[in-house]
Amino acid sequence: MFKKILIANRGEIACRIIRACREMGIVSLAVYSEADRASLHVQMADEAALIGAPAAADSYLNMDRIIETAHAFGAEAIHPGYGFLAENPEFARRLEKEGIVFIGPNSRALELVGDKIRARQTMEKAGIPIIPGMKHVARSIDEYIAAARKIGYPVMIKASAGGGGKGMRIVCAEEDLRPALEAGSREARAAFGDESIYLEKCIEDPRHVEFQVLADNHGQIVHLFERECSIQRRHQKIVEETPSQALTPELRRKMGETAKKVVAVSGYNNAGTVEFLLDRNKDFYFLEVNARLQVEHPVTELTTGVDLVRQQIRIAAGEKLTLKQDALTQRGHAIECRIYAEDPANNFLPSSGKILYFQEPRGPGVRHDGGIYSGCEVPIYYDPILAKLIVWAETRDSACARMAAALNDYVILGIKTTIPFLKDVICHPKFREGATTTGFIKNHFENWQEEEGTPEGLSLALAVAALDELAPSPKGNKTAGPKTEVYSPWLTLGQWRIGEKP
Amino acid sequence: MDFEFTVNGVRRLISLERKDDRLTIRHGGIALEAEFRVISANAVSVLSGGRSRLLIIARDKDKRHVWLEGRTYIIHSGAEEERLADKGDDRTQKGKSVVTAPMPGKVVKVNVAEKEPVRKNQTLAIVEAMKMENEIKSPLEGFVKKVYVSAGDLVDSEKPLLELEPKS
Repeated sequence: MFKKILIANRGEIACRIIRACREMGIVSLAVYSEADRASLHVQMADEAALIGAPAAADSYLNMDRIIETAHAFGAEAIHPGYGFLAENPEFARRLEKEGIVFIGPNSRALELVGDKIRARQTMEKAGIPIIPGMKHVARSIDEYIAAARKIGYPVMIKASAGGGGKGMRIVCAEEDLRPALEAGSREARAAFGDESIYLEKCIEDPRHVEFQVLADNHGQIVHLFERECSIQRRHQKIVEETPSQALTPELRRKMGETAKKVVAVSGYNNAGTVEFLLDRNKDFYFLEVNARLQVEHPVTELTTGVDLVRQQIRIAAGEKLTLKQDALTQRGHAIECRIYAEDPANNFLPSSGKILYFQEPRGPGVRHDGGIYSGCEVPIYYDPILAKLIVWAETRDSACARMAAALNDYVILGIKTTIPFLKDVICHPKFREGATTTGFIKNHFENWQEEEGTPEGLSLALAVAALDELAPSPKGNKTAGPKTEVYSPWLTLGQWRIGEKP
Repeated sequence: MDFEFTVNGVRRLISLERKDDRLTIRHGGIALEAEFRVISANAVSVLSGGRSRLLIIARDKDKRHVWLEGRTYIIHSGAEEERLADKGDDRTQKGKSVVTAPMPGKVVKVNVAEKEPVRKNQTLAIVEAMKMENEIKSPLEGFVKKVYVSAGDLVDSEKPLLELEPKS
């Protein structure tokens, strides 16, 4: 087993990985940018190293600096988390050359699944259902027009290097195709440095169902059942759950076996997720492989009892999987809500700044994976995810009730977050029914606003604000704002000089 | 004792009368009596008619964030006009239109130059934060009077980006 692991990430996922390291007796090495000196992952880790300026390109994406740091500190392996370098085949290849273990799939498999068109060709050859559409990038607009006619409108434009909804566009009629192709290809070039796009049949209002897979370096593969991630905003998941309301035991078995086959034909190892679209007729299609630890991995952990990060580390160290497919079961129901620093009432505008007060919900069956604390700064440079709230209960109904209560108890003051929006999503009758499709947010939550509070609530809030105005603030300094809230020995000590007599 | 606050741009007058732990709150023609207990610098427990509630409060200069039962109230001290005047905000003056940054971020691009005519909803600049690009659109038809920022600048929320002159 490794003695030291470098965690090439920040925020909640870095904290999650540090916890796993600590439990396994492995020294954790955090890396951080100049904007993250005070971040939680730096506080939690056993060791920490500065790797550059705030912009991700200068720090968390800086391969040279990260590899140098791993060597300098003697880290034998690197966990990339999600985002940043997690699915970068070049990074995986360089680590292979440097003799550092990449805690993730091998570089060839990463390359294959990262190229959507090549992955489609490989899957089709292996008899795995794919969404009807192009298997090559076209050379001319006419070729796209002909392909779209053959597929039948509506069609979906996708980026070959794709992911995260970038470059994706739905086209309903031929006259809209040309401008959409141009825009899609421009967006793809900006996001991935590769303008290749292709067309697929647009599956209308599908469910997004994905399977968690683990594959060791010795050819053993298991799946850990599904996660339903249909609740999405601009193709980004915001609520995930397991089990899916749409699967029968038979369909679950069939999709699970297909997911394992996808992993096998890709020569894939370590943890991965096979994404499928499920249409109204319960036909499923391979979408893509997410070659990383997923944001939503905790719902699988809570229902299967398997620690996925620990499994990833063990697999990367060359250990054999001890999990057996027949022994794996799903127990109860788990839901995750992603807490973002965004203003849901104002077009989800990013909301950076200082978190003045933070108190996470607690209680039976409530898990909070976070990267924030009272007084921390949320920088403008990175993804707006702050934390994930995950609940487990015996049934879906009780899990929904538990999630609603937990969201209602969740306090983050100082910046806007998606908490009030998520509460309304969880409480929506269609969500409670399990009628979740990828169109859910668009159909039910366009132009969402928080409901008005009660007059009594406002009166009490004003009264507390008034009391606070009267309260003598510490050190009699009323205008210093948040600084007076936290006792800081440095501020007090600041009046002295070293060597001076008290 | 009387207090004046602004919540969501609405002026709120409240009066408190204290007798030991009990407060009588008068606000908007309604009187409410409750027992208040300060738990910590950030928490106040309130009992009224047997109902128990916990309020969480945090301060940020002239702004107080108060949380109650899953809802956050942002409460400014004093009246809104005073607040704007204090910050040197002159957006309320006639004949001027200052376009400000909607959130802290980095200016990626300024699409217009001074003296250039602009249409309503034309993209004036792009500000990026947290990997998301936000287009700043023109609120009016007119021309660009002044550009305050250039690409690469870091801006704070409500920081003026450019100034427009409406078409006369």
